[in-house]
Amino acid sequence: MQIFTCPFCGPRDESEFHFGGEAGNTRPDGADVPAERWARYLYMRANPKGATSEVWVHMTCGEFFIMERDSVGHKVAASHPLGGAEKSE
Amino acid sequence: MRNLAEKWSPAPDWRTATLQTPGLVIRSLTGFTQYLVSGDLAAWSRRTDMDAAAVGALSVAQGERYALRVARDRILAVSETPFGIEPGWRASGFAVSTFDAGLHMIEIEGPDMSSLFARATTLDPAGETASAALLFAGANVLCYRHGHADRLRLHVDRALAPYLWKWLEQAIVA
Repeated sequence: MQIFTCPFCGPRDESEFHFGGEAGNTRPDGADVPAERWARYLYMRANPKGATSEVWVHMTCGEFFIMERDSVGHKVAASHPLGGAEKSE
Repeated sequence: MRNLAEKWSPAPDWRTATLQTPGLVIRSLTGFTQYLVSGDLAAWSRRTDMDAAAVGALSVAQGERYALRVARDRILAVSETPFGIEPGWRASGFAVSTFDAGLHMIEIEGPDMSSLFARATTLDPAGETASAALLFAGANVLCYRHGHADRLRLHVDRALAPYLWKWLEQAIVA
């Protein structure tokens, strides 16, 4: 079991959270987006070894947030709300 | 054709359902008015004189009318008597939805409440947290203390209430 920190609720059990993808993978917009850009958005991931920034959702309160963690050691460095200034170390 | 009704135990009669041990009394609560309020909670607070901060998990709610924090922009207002406000969208920036039928209420009271809470969740029984929403015995509930430290109230999706009752029956004898 691991404890994650929801920026709104605080520390909670990992079973209350769901992975939402790598942070920064924004959906392309517009009619003339090339196929390569769509492919990069849909299929290509950086999958870094070590420090990573990911979108997670706290299922019980519905908070979407960014979690910075280490993909090797699983240590969570910080979590902060999407688009917000609040930060929970 | 198999009779699948035999596979499940019938749901208890919620009007009278009670579980009791020397250190615990567990009751089903009925007749409460529950409103889900979403949006500008400060505007809701000004309209109703209720505290927009609301209580989170393990905080102590007082009185017959109080509010639970569900999310950053959402609360559940609970009252033993009807609210003087109509459900619907308000131009001041919040929406009110009647939620009486959506959530069933269960009350757990007694000195053994903390140890039962510790079995059901991973939250520190001595701590508090902003939102009242958490996993309790695997079910998504709103959880808080009411009146005093040894009385816990749960609001659970009505469809999951028979499961949670069964879990409580088994947890208090185990």
